[in-house]
Parts: sequence; structure tokens; C-alpha cells
Amino acid sequence: MPLAIHLAAVTKVYRVPHRRPFLARALLRGVLPRPAGEAPAAALREIDLAVERGESVGIVGANGSGKTTLLSLVAGTMHPTRGTVRVEGRVGPLLELGAGFHPDLTGYENLQLNAALLGLTRAEIRARLASIVDFAEIDEHLHAPVRTYSTGMIARAGFAVLAHVDPEILLVDEVLAVGDARFRAKCERTMEGFRARGITQLLVSHNLPLLERLCGRTIWLDGGRIRADGPPAAVLARYREEQGAAGESRIRPDRCPPPLA
Amino acid sequence: MLSSPPSARPLAVLLSPAIRRHSFVFASLVAKSYKTTYRNMALGVLWSLVNPLVLVAVLSAVWLVFFAASRQFPAFVAVALIPFNFSGQCLRACAQSVVGNASLVKKVAFPRQLLPFAAVATSLADLALQIPLVVAVLLVFPPPGRVLAAPLLWLPAIFALHLLLVAGTGLLVAGANVLYRDVRYLLESVLVVLFWASPILYDAHDRLAARPGLALAYYLNPCAGLLESYRRVLYEGAPPHPVPLAMAFGTSLLLAALGLGVFGRLERDFADLL
Repeated sequence: MPLAIHLAAVTKVYRVPHRRPFLARALLRGVLPRPAGEAPAAALREIDLAVERGESVGIVGANGSGKTTLLSLVAGTMHPTRGTVRVEGRVGPLLELGAGFHPDLTGYENLQLNAALLGLTRAEIRARLASIVDFAEIDEHLHAPVRTYSTGMIARAGFAVLAHVDPEILLVDEVLAVGDARFRAKCERTMEGFRARGITQLLVSHNLPLLERLCGRTIWLDGGRIRADGPPAAVLARYREEQGAAGESRIRPDRCPPPLA
Repeated sequence: MLSSPPSARPLAVLLSPAIRRHSFVFASLVAKSYKTTYRNMALGVLWSLVNPLVLVAVLSAVWLVFFAASRQFPAFVAVALIPFNFSGQCLRACAQSVVGNASLVKKVAFPRQLLPFAAVATSLADLALQIPLVVAVLLVFPPPGRVLAAPLLWLPAIFALHLLLVAGTGLLVAGANVLYRDVRYLLESVLVVLFWASPILYDAHDRLAARPGLALAYYLNPCAGLLESYRRVLYEGAPPHPVPLAMAFGTSLLLAALGLGVFGRLERDFADLL
């Protein structure tokens, strides 16, 4: 199978805002105390990753292990500090909660704008809008500003657009955690449909059973490196084991605050 | 992937799919910024008329009373002030265009240049509303020159130069403001300097005729030659002075090249810095 995503020796070091050479700080050098924590953190270190077309890859890892950075690089919103990222095919957005929704625009206006940014033409949007709205289940709120929406509604609207843009590569960042059980089931069915249609998927989630159901391969990121890469069952078993161990060692009943009287 | 049948859109097939797609993204961004600018306001888009009207009225009143300006002074000011205001509004909108769309920049890959360009296009809508205002002032305070004359044919070229200037400088300002958020405040000071360093409240060309060195420095400000050309065409009914216009064109081209280059370099780090 041809490759859809190919990362070669990719390192990403963030340009941390507070480390920018502030003019004010430069002028006051020697007057102000040196800021602590000088070393910039690498979010990803020397990542090599090849994903074939049609593969469905789950990504797990602790907070801050580089999952979102990896998706951002594939989405093309970020560029690697070193190494190369090659992506073949129409990439969907980095889907997150409320992806790019403007609070003052109505749901309808936001859906239109997002669909345009994700590459639909005017005619395609016109043809699919009814279906997008139907999928999102926000009927009576369609023309209300998005700031009046609940978290679940925003997530539904975001997923609804995604389900209709025909990406060749789908990036999902922990979006299936919200919404009620019925909507989650609907999303899951949609993603299974994507997989059946041979769409390449990268799924970040802390919902391990979900990854096991939806993915044919799982990557475990740890401190910006790939710790394990293989069939979900094997990788997730190791991940669960370590997470469990880490959790147990950290939770000490004798250190818990006493119950309120 | 779906695509519309070619026969249904004869014009669109002439464009490459990339341009067609980006033109639609661009239109959507313009619609978005226009809606978000004027939503939740009582007067909405009418504000783009109120502010310049007040400014022209106040400046005219002061100049007529205290500086013994001629009767045509409101027209004299308006033909330069309205274009200047357009530049200021464009640059302010450009400065915020990338920073204000952080959520889009971080999630979707699209040419970031579209953001400042959409800001300019949104300001164009305001300018369109202000054109009747300029026409009204010209009618009420008729200028000395014959305005509806052949030199008016220069107007599209002058306006194209104006767009080149604001788009180029807008790229520069938009990119720089991501790196240093102070740029937005610096811009306000720059606009004040430009206001007084451009022929808006006074006429510069004839007074600088005897001092070529100073004239050269003065017309390095592209706004100077640009606004003067507007006034020549709209107020004096004469073609623009060639040297100031050429200098405005040259400096605008340089600024546009600089803007494209700087924005292109900074663009890679936008998602990191937002």
C-alpha cells in the first residue's frame, strides 16, 4: 500500500512565547533576574512514522506526550523543527472541541465557514448543508450564536462538518469524549464507515476500548518519543499496565484529605 | 471527492481547482469578519459613515473658523481623508487578522495570507459606503477644478496602487503582530505620524517645489504621493503629479515585497506563537 503519512526523524521544539527576545527584556538585561527554566522543551523527538493509506492508527500517551503536536504536524498547521513530514491526500482539520468556531456567529454561519475551510466548494456545501445540520442535531439552535451552545452541541457541530467533508486523511483529537452516549455511538459508526471506505485515520483518545474497536494499529507516545507501535491489544495492554502502576503508586490513601464532616 | 459538473459552471472551470477553492475560502473569511465586526451593534455598518463624517465636520469647522480656510475646505479634506481612513482601517484590521483567528490558524491548514487580505476586503465594504459621503461633500462644497473630467480616468490606477500599498503593509503588520503584540499599538503612533506627514490638511506639492531634497524625503512616504494623487484627480480635476505618484508606486512595491517576504517567513511559526 502507498504511504499516506510519512514522518522522518521529526523533532518539534516549540517557540515558547515567553522566551521570545522581548525588546523590553533585552533592554533591561542585567537589571531583571534571569527567568528560570531556560531549556525549551521538545514536544517530539526524532519521530519516524509511516502510515499506509487506509490505515486506522490510534495514539495514546500521557498529557504532554506530544499527541496533539503530532496531529498538528500532519494537519500542516505546524512545521517540524527538524526532519520532514510528507502527507499524501486531502487532510481534514485537526478536529478538536469547537474547532475554529466563532462564538458570535450562528451555528449555520460557522458550519458554512468550517466546511469552506475544509475544502468544500460552494455547491458542495449547498448540497450537504441539510445533511450536516441533521447530523449535528442542533435544529432549533441553528440560527443562534454559537456562544449560546452547550459543549455537547459544539462537539456535535464540529463532528457533523467533519463527517461530510470527505477527507482522505482524518485527524481526530479526543473529540469522542464529549456528547451523550447516543451521539458517541453515531460518531463511532461514522468513523467505522470512514475506515471501511479506506480513509486514513489518526485518532487521539484516552478512551482505550474505543481505540481497540476503531483502530488496526496503536502508537504509544511517551515524552515525545514512540514508546510502542503495534496491534492495539498488545500496545494498550502494556500502556494500561504502566498507567495502572503509575496511578497506584501516586494515589496513597493515607495522603488523601479526610472526608468532610 | 465530489466536484460540480464542468458544464454547470463554465467560468469556474477556467480557474484551477486550487484557486477556485481558495477564492471560496477567501469569500467565507470576508463574510465572517464582516459579520463579526458589526454584530451586536445598534448602528452596525452605519458607524463607518458616522466617524468620517464627524471627522470631516470637525476639521472643517476648526480650519474655517481659526485658519481662515476657503469655502471648499471640506471637499479638499474629504478627498484625502477618506482614503487615508481606509488605509488606517485596513492596517488595524490586518494587525488583528491572524491573532484574532488563532483557533482557525491552529486547526486548519490554508494559506495564511488570506487572513490579512480578507481584512482588507472587509474594509473595502466600509469604503464603498463612504464613497457617497465623498460625493455629497463634493456636491455641497464644489471644488475649483472640473471633477467630472478626463483625469478621473486615473482613479482606478490610483486605487489599485492604494490596494497594493495596504495589502503589502497589511501582510507586514499582520505577521509582525503575531511575533510582538505591541505592533498593534505601535501602528497607532505610525498612523498619527502618517496623518500629519501626508497632504491631508494642507497642500504639499507646490510648497516643496523649491526644496527638492525635502520633497524627496517627503514623498518617500507612499501615503503622500497617493493621497495627493486622489486630490489632484477628485478635487483639482487634473492628472496626478508624475514624480510623487511614481515614488508612491515604487515604495508600495518595496513594502509589498517586504510584506510578502516577512509574512512568508513568520507564517511557519504562527501556530506555535498563537
